[in-house]
Amino acid sequence: MRRREFLGRAGAAVAAGALPLSGARAAAWPDKPVKLILPYAPGGATDLLARPWSEVLSKVFGQQFVLEHRGGAGGMIGTEAASKATPDGYTFLFTPNATMSVLPNLRKTPYDPMKSFDPVGRAGDLVTGFVIHPSVGPKNFKEMVEYAKANPGKLSYGSAGLGTATQMRLEMLKFKTGIDILHVPYRGSADALNDLLPGNVQMMNEINVLPHVKAGKLILLNINHSSRNPDFPDVPTLTELGVSDADVPIWYSFWAPAGTPKEITAAFNAKIVELANGDDMKGRMRAINSQVPVQTPEEMRAYLDLDSKRNADLIKAANIKLE
Amino acid sequence: MDVFSNLALGFSVAVSPINLFWCFMGAFIGTAIGVLPGVGPVATMALLLPVTYFLTPEGALIMLAGIYYGAQYGGSTTAILVNVPGEASSVVTALDGYAMARQGRAGPALAIAAIGSFIAGCFATVLIVIAAPPLTRMAQQFAPADYFSLMLLGLTLAVVMASGSIVKAIGMIFLGMLLGLVGTDVNTGNTRFTFGISDLFDGVGFVIVAMGLFGIGEIIKNLGDPERRDLVSSKIEGLMPTREDLRRSAMPIARGTILGSFLGILPGGGGVLGSFSSYSLEKKLSKTPENFGKGMIEGVAGPEAANNAAAQTSFIPMLTLGIPSNAVMAMMIGGMMIHGIVPGPQIMEQKPGLFWGMIASMWIGNLMLLVLNLPLIGMWVKMLLVPYRLLAIAIFFFCAVGVYSLNNLNTELYFMAFFGLLGYAFIRLGCEPAPLLLGYLLGPLMEVYMRRAMLLSRGDPMVFLERPLSLTFLIIAAVALILVILPNIRKARQEAFQE
Repeated sequence: MRRREFLGRAGAAVAAGALPLSGARAAAWPDKPVKLILPYAPGGATDLLARPWSEVLSKVFGQQFVLEHRGGAGGMIGTEAASKATPDGYTFLFTPNATMSVLPNLRKTPYDPMKSFDPVGRAGDLVTGFVIHPSVGPKNFKEMVEYAKANPGKLSYGSAGLGTATQMRLEMLKFKTGIDILHVPYRGSADALNDLLPGNVQMMNEINVLPHVKAGKLILLNINHSSRNPDFPDVPTLTELGVSDADVPIWYSFWAPAGTPKEITAAFNAKIVELANGDDMKGRMRAINSQVPVQTPEEMRAYLDLDSKRNADLIKAANIKLE
Repeated sequence: MDVFSNLALGFSVAVSPINLFWCFMGAFIGTAIGVLPGVGPVATMALLLPVTYFLTPEGALIMLAGIYYGAQYGGSTTAILVNVPGEASSVVTALDGYAMARQGRAGPALAIAAIGSFIAGCFATVLIVIAAPPLTRMAQQFAPADYFSLMLLGLTLAVVMASGSIVKAIGMIFLGMLLGLVGTDVNTGNTRFTFGISDLFDGVGFVIVAMGLFGIGEIIKNLGDPERRDLVSSKIEGLMPTREDLRRSAMPIARGTILGSFLGILPGGGGVLGSFSSYSLEKKLSKTPENFGKGMIEGVAGPEAANNAAAQTSFIPMLTLGIPSNAVMAMMIGGMMIHGIVPGPQIMEQKPGLFWGMIASMWIGNLMLLVLNLPLIGMWVKMLLVPYRLLAIAIFFFCAVGVYSLNNLNTELYFMAFFGLLGYAFIRLGCEPAPLLLGYLLGPLMEVYMRRAMLLSRGDPMVFLERPLSLTFLIIAAVALILVILPNIRKARQEAFQE
């Protein structure tokens, strides 16, 4: 039975790949469930952002948008799987920029972010910033910089791992302000938070720290985003603090395997933009400290290129190595 | 008092018919799937996480928690009946529980496991209510250096308590540590022992190793070992424990409960450390330590109580700090996030109904499990009478489904097959796989904590001796090691194990 099912599926895949999609079929898209591949295990930030999207998309399209978690190798396994999926408009990649503009600058990936995928839409940016443990002393961003300058090498920060945005953001800050903070890599941000709360490390930059800021256990120094977080209206952005071009965005997005019919990616993008502008999605995103910027597929491709170059420069300047 | 108003609120949430129903469903599904050999709570929760999407947050978390302790009851059941621990903390249960089953005393072993777990569960629930805030503050005092020393102590105790050759035990621990190091190094990003296979970049999964070594390996051995069937199905006398059984189990359950409650709070510790520590403690306190591994009821009662107590108290850092202390708690956090709840210290204040309701449901769930399991023990025991050649296929099937459901990767099935063969080889060579699993779990954590401690101390190794907690753990480990190495004690120990 499993064998027959497999043969059936293989047959369908071959048929879908071999026949060019007619305009009529693209117009009917989606007429069966759509798969969103997430390159990480359930329960993380990617899952957190993908859930509201799959729920709302399933509702507006009348077809299930199913999440498939393919974790492993820092996101490489799931991203590679998505790059090799049949480009028929029924499999998409839902990923943070880590797999698209960071990882390829650090190691050889079995996919090319620019060539293996077609851009579809932006799904949300994380709006968070640097926090510091209250036992250190500094109460705001300026005091932190002064403290770090007066005590070089005394502060340390936790990251979710080598080459993650949580490391890149602090390296960028060190690079821009000339301060010295020791990097301590962890296995994921929950692990890093574990050592931040008792003050074993003193700084971090992730969304999972924000509830602890609300509880008064950590101090939020700034926001790494073009606008403030509405839940922390008094905390300024880095640009407002006079540190320009220092944001390292953490952004989530939809991608299609290269060769997916343009009618489908365009229709999908239009729906994503429409939803992102709606109050329902704005509210859902705010609840998880995210905002959705609106971009066309072409703008998104250019943005990926820009982001990748910025990360490449930073990786070189901060001497981040994986292999 | 606060405690009572909190509990009252919790019970008002937990006993609402719909939540009572989810609690029952969780406990029942958990037990049923946990009973299936080779599928432990993590795999079960991973499989059922998508289902909770359709429930209220309270219902979802109550059911997930139910699956967890339900699967643990079930996991102990398979450990006792077929020597396949559903998860790491049941490894110890299998030692004496399975020996009891082979002597025809599967019933009392299962009953004592259920009773011990229930008592520990009740105690741990009360403990969470009363002591969550101060205990969390204590666990928070742990720095990387303290974790390192604690894990060193854990591994040392694993060597001390291993039956048979010390050399083989140490060898297995080191082999386990090497296995645990496969994958990407956290500090440098180098990939180690991966042979360029990208499916190995994140290491070899715990479920794969456990299912392979304990599930598949055991099946191969049993299939090639026809006389074993007769031994197990020979005669099963009396399902209920005797008065003597209860008397012998009372103190181990009490000690295991306290030990497990404490260890469960430590992130990374949890049920595994609890059950292993309790077993070695009972062995040390026993007048007849040489009988451990041969069907001592104390070796089932203590670790089962410790395991369940730790399972429940490990909710403390998760609920109060949002920190997962083990893979199961990571699943619980996943369950919260599905509903848009960000775990953290704000939950207790912002969602008191959810927080206290879940805690109250733990007690109700444990009661349900006791009611559910004691009458059903007869049914579990009957499972032994299923012809092994059929049971073997079922175990194979569920191991394969369980492993594949984790990451949808074919390669992981091959890895499991490899560990199955390795497990069989170990059995033939007389090497216990339990120390390997402990080395596999604790080795990489120890490495990470050691390097982190050194990084934070800016390269000064004295950090391990300067922190009082760390120093205490190191001293205990050293004493334990010296005791085993001393010539006359070693001789006595060898004689004890040869009997």
